[in-house]
Amino acid sequence: MGGQGPSWSAPRDLRPVNWRGFWTLYRRAALRYLRSLPEDVGGPLVSSMLFLIVFSMAWGAAGGEPIRGVDPVTFIAPGIAAYALFHGAFENSAFPTIHDKLEGIVQDVLGAPLTPLEMVAGYVLPAATGGLVTGAIILGVMRIFVEIPLAAPLYVLGFGVLGAMLFAFLGFLAGLWARKWDRYSVVDTFLILPLGLLSGTFFPLAALPEMGQSLILANPVFYAVDGFRAGFLGQPQAPLLAGAAVLLGLCALLAMTSWILVARGYRLKP
Amino acid sequence: MTETSQSPRLPQPVATLGPRHMGRINGRGLWTLYVKEVRRFLNVFTQTVMAPMVTMLLFLAIFTLALGRDNVTFGEISYAEFLAPGLVMMAVIQNAFANTSSSLLIGKIQGNIVDVLMPPLSASELTLGFVGGGVTRGIVVGVAVTLGMWLFVPIRIHDPLAIAWFGINAAVMLSLLGMIGGIWADKFDHIAAVTNFVIVPFSFLSGTFYSIERLPETWKFVAHLNPFFYQIDGFRYGFLGQHDSNLVIGAVFVGGVNLCLWLLVHRMFASGYKLKP
Repeated sequence: MGGQGPSWSAPRDLRPVNWRGFWTLYRRAALRYLRSLPEDVGGPLVSSMLFLIVFSMAWGAAGGEPIRGVDPVTFIAPGIAAYALFHGAFENSAFPTIHDKLEGIVQDVLGAPLTPLEMVAGYVLPAATGGLVTGAIILGVMRIFVEIPLAAPLYVLGFGVLGAMLFAFLGFLAGLWARKWDRYSVVDTFLILPLGLLSGTFFPLAALPEMGQSLILANPVFYAVDGFRAGFLGQPQAPLLAGAAVLLGLCALLAMTSWILVARGYRLKP
Repeated sequence: MTETSQSPRLPQPVATLGPRHMGRINGRGLWTLYVKEVRRFLNVFTQTVMAPMVTMLLFLAIFTLALGRDNVTFGEISYAEFLAPGLVMMAVIQNAFANTSSSLLIGKIQGNIVDVLMPPLSASELTLGFVGGGVTRGIVVGVAVTLGMWLFVPIRIHDPLAIAWFGINAAVMLSLLGMIGGIWADKFDHIAAVTNFVIVPFSFLSGTFYSIERLPETWKFVAHLNPFFYQIDGFRYGFLGQHDSNLVIGAVFVGGVNLCLWLLVHRMFASGYKLKP
């Protein structure tokens, strides 16, 4: 027994990455998501389908023409799914962060041997996964009713992941910033909703006047929606590589910000 | 000295004690409940008034951009003009419901519902007080959304009476539905489910975004079964002067539904269903 002493009394070496710590956080978030799956997916699913129904009826009633050569319902379906996916990622990241902070649970995470980067990843990555699952379920249900081609699955996955990461980081930052639940809905209504809806989810770029087009092009979410949709329908409206670069750069920036803020204990530590 | 100065005063406090008489209506109690309900939502003005305004303006933008560009018109009315009154009504519907349902449910969950049930307020006064709060929120949000849309879309008023009748009746109906929901629900999940699966679908599929007349026959029939359809149609008539349904039937129908719901809510308060042990 004496000989084995040092092997168990010495501190565990967790470098370079505390995988078990990260995995514990990830699994906790995944279990949280799964437990409330019906409510988390049910709401967005109903509203997405309603948007689709209302849009196709309004379009049919108005006797409109095809958008960019495809049926308008086929055109907007991936856009609506993308919005649900992004919003899901935001929600799954902001909600647990605020909840843990307000309930004091975040102390358990701060007290664990996790580096700030591991902690950020432990909140953001499962949120992005949750958003992707929500988006996939909604797309699956949509495909029962609407014919959606699949031109390039890799683009769908790539831009889906980039968009989900972007919104998961935004959700995490919003969660860090919020001192009360009210703040969550402020960010949701005044930032996420406009960013998400005015990004070409419902209309092609060509539908806008000159100034509107340049405004939409300044919205990074547009590139995520456009790339995601191009994965289904082909023919992107903006260069895909540039879009991916913009999204990747923005994600890196937000990751850096989150990392620095957590390392400093911004609104986490007294 | 002390005895002589005290003894004549003794009967006075006794005389002022005893039950207060409130007449047929407890006016002060009703007013207090109403003010509490109004302050509750004004306290979080950004969430309860600004947020619906922003959301509805975004809806206006995306649907006009997606559908309005082919110069789709309804007679001489542009798509945006057609859409605006429907979106205002949708905001009224969703917010009137949210006000009463959240107030009752939060009261039940946090236990402060006893502060409303204990005071000498009758079932009629409780119903009126809560409905008053819900209707006020509906009107405040409706006016805010209308003003917001006015910046982008020309708003004209054809028949103020129709706007008032259908607008207020919609707010009353959804306030009452919100109270039924709030009293019935045990958890936030329940009320979220009612909102997501009943209120939002009915308000979306009520002819806000398209003219029911231009739908295929089956859908037209289904749409006519939706009470929100008459509200939106009558409300839109008040602004634009054109309608899909018979207005008199619509006006009587929404009034009748409200009367039934009012009696139901009154019964719930009187019996203490899910409110009193």
